[in-house]
Amino acid sequence: MLSRSSLSRNAPRAFAAGRRSMASAASPAFQYDVSEASGVKVANREVEGPTGTLALVAKAGSRYQPFPGFSDALDRFAFKTTLKRSALRITRETELLGGEISSTHSRENIVLRTKFLSKDLPYFTELLAEVATQSKFADHELNEVVRNLLKYKQQAVHSNPETVAVDAAHGVAFHRGLGASITPSETSPYEKYISSDALAEFAQSAYSKSNIALVASGPNSAELSKWVGQFFKDTPTGNASSKYNVLPSVASKYYGGEQRIASKIGNAVVIAFPGSSAFGTAGYKAEASVLAALLGGESTIKWTPGFSLLSQATKGFNQLRVSTQNNAYSDAGLFTVTLSGQADQVGAASKNVVDALKKAAAGEVASEDIKKAIALAKFRALESVQTLETGLEATGSGLVHGNKPYQINEIAQALEKVSEQQVKEVANAFLTGKATLVSVGDIHQLPFAEDIGLTV
Amino acid sequence: MSAPSLASYIVKRPWLKSWLTPLSHWYTDAAGYRRLGLKFDDLIPEESENVQKAIKRLPAKEAYDRVFRIRRAFQCSISHTLLPAHEQTKPSEDVEYLSPIIREVEKEAKERADLDNLVVRK
Repeated sequence: MLSRSSLSRNAPRAFAAGRRSMASAASPAFQYDVSEASGVKVANREVEGPTGTLALVAKAGSRYQPFPGFSDALDRFAFKTTLKRSALRITRETELLGGEISSTHSRENIVLRTKFLSKDLPYFTELLAEVATQSKFADHELNEVVRNLLKYKQQAVHSNPETVAVDAAHGVAFHRGLGASITPSETSPYEKYISSDALAEFAQSAYSKSNIALVASGPNSAELSKWVGQFFKDTPTGNASSKYNVLPSVASKYYGGEQRIASKIGNAVVIAFPGSSAFGTAGYKAEASVLAALLGGESTIKWTPGFSLLSQATKGFNQLRVSTQNNAYSDAGLFTVTLSGQADQVGAASKNVVDALKKAAAGEVASEDIKKAIALAKFRALESVQTLETGLEATGSGLVHGNKPYQINEIAQALEKVSEQQVKEVANAFLTGKATLVSVGDIHQLPFAEDIGLTV
Repeated sequence: MSAPSLASYIVKRPWLKSWLTPLSHWYTDAAGYRRLGLKFDDLIPEESENVQKAIKRLPAKEAYDRVFRIRRAFQCSISHTLLPAHEQTKPSEDVEYLSPIIREVEKEAKERADLDNLVVRK
């Protein structure tokens, strides 16, 4: 039996141990150490464990593609036939080793990801190098596999009103660059640009030394840099000029405006404002992510609407989904409030969203709620770095864009410092500046910007 | 595509090759398909999965030309005529355009079969 005195002796100690935040220097495992091996940037965090992850992040997302659909096609072309072995062999070998390979792309990056048992690090490092530099881009593979995959992706993306609306919001907000469609729409004539030769040239500049970063979690740093140095030494430096090269980085500019898309796939409204760029860049504003958590809309706890302003404001609508996000990119951000559901409810609720934002701008928010929002924003930021899925791309993106890689304690500090006044100011700036409004669906019922009190 | 062939045996022996090459030129010319404007690869039987797949992989222009040659030859055959000399296939034009693709498809099929019957020894 525990004596009372031993409890009272241990309790403060346990509390102190629990309070030592994971962001402190005492837990370096979450920080990435950055190095360079044969000209390729490598970020690694050593985590004890039987498995490892290695990802190649290339600055070649839809923002940098020379023609529509290129990033998408290159993403689908990953792990296809190379000069050394066929796609089938790659698949079978990976199966035998019990690994996982996948590829995704975002607005800024193409990410090739491998997960494996620790001892297979050399195999997967070689595989990534092979995919990056020696992919064959066979005509028949494009026609028989990649084009069909692209079509399915398009159908999947464009049957969801929310993704259509968010994509259109980026287009309205940023025009070109970040505004380019992440997956070309079904009605866009993108096929005429895509050929295997063009893609091969695009790949050569996309996977050139200065354009890629390798991010790993798990393996030993010395071993990793040895293998990377060996396998990636033949990566092209890529300076031959071609019209299919990755587009140079042009500073993003926010325009804003309104777009209405009539559609039968469902109803969605996106209200967007210029948000905060990614951590470690000049345009980083911690208060924007706090405001995103404050407006919220989705509860983090089951069976309760949560504290957020939007979930309170839209309590009465049972056929409605609301979420607020700050989409952060390397030099700009888009703060989006997404509503989807039945047309009449989406229409009515979008007015409530603007009212909630006005409330935040006027400072009529309990300081308790702001504290909760800061805690939630902090949790989300730290979790996204800790989770491999998001952390790998964020770190790699920071490296290829020449920004600081994510450092946990700095993010935590920046978020803790956010004051009520700052949140008020950022909400005010949203309301006075130009907004972006995109409505998808039954536009007969969905509101115009003027109806809900936004200036576009 | 699997008729028994002495080709590799002959090619390995230069003296035999130099001796038989003119003979082979005479033989292919005598076969007569060139006078109907065909290429040798047009004669490969189409009725197999691999060849069908290879034909699908032909570049658009090649596929069009192939169909054109076959229809023209068909027409000649019906009307019991030969093409005028300038329209007949010259030996320099009678190159493999389909066989490399067929070989590639066969290699793929073989690789798939091999991998499907793979035995892992550790």
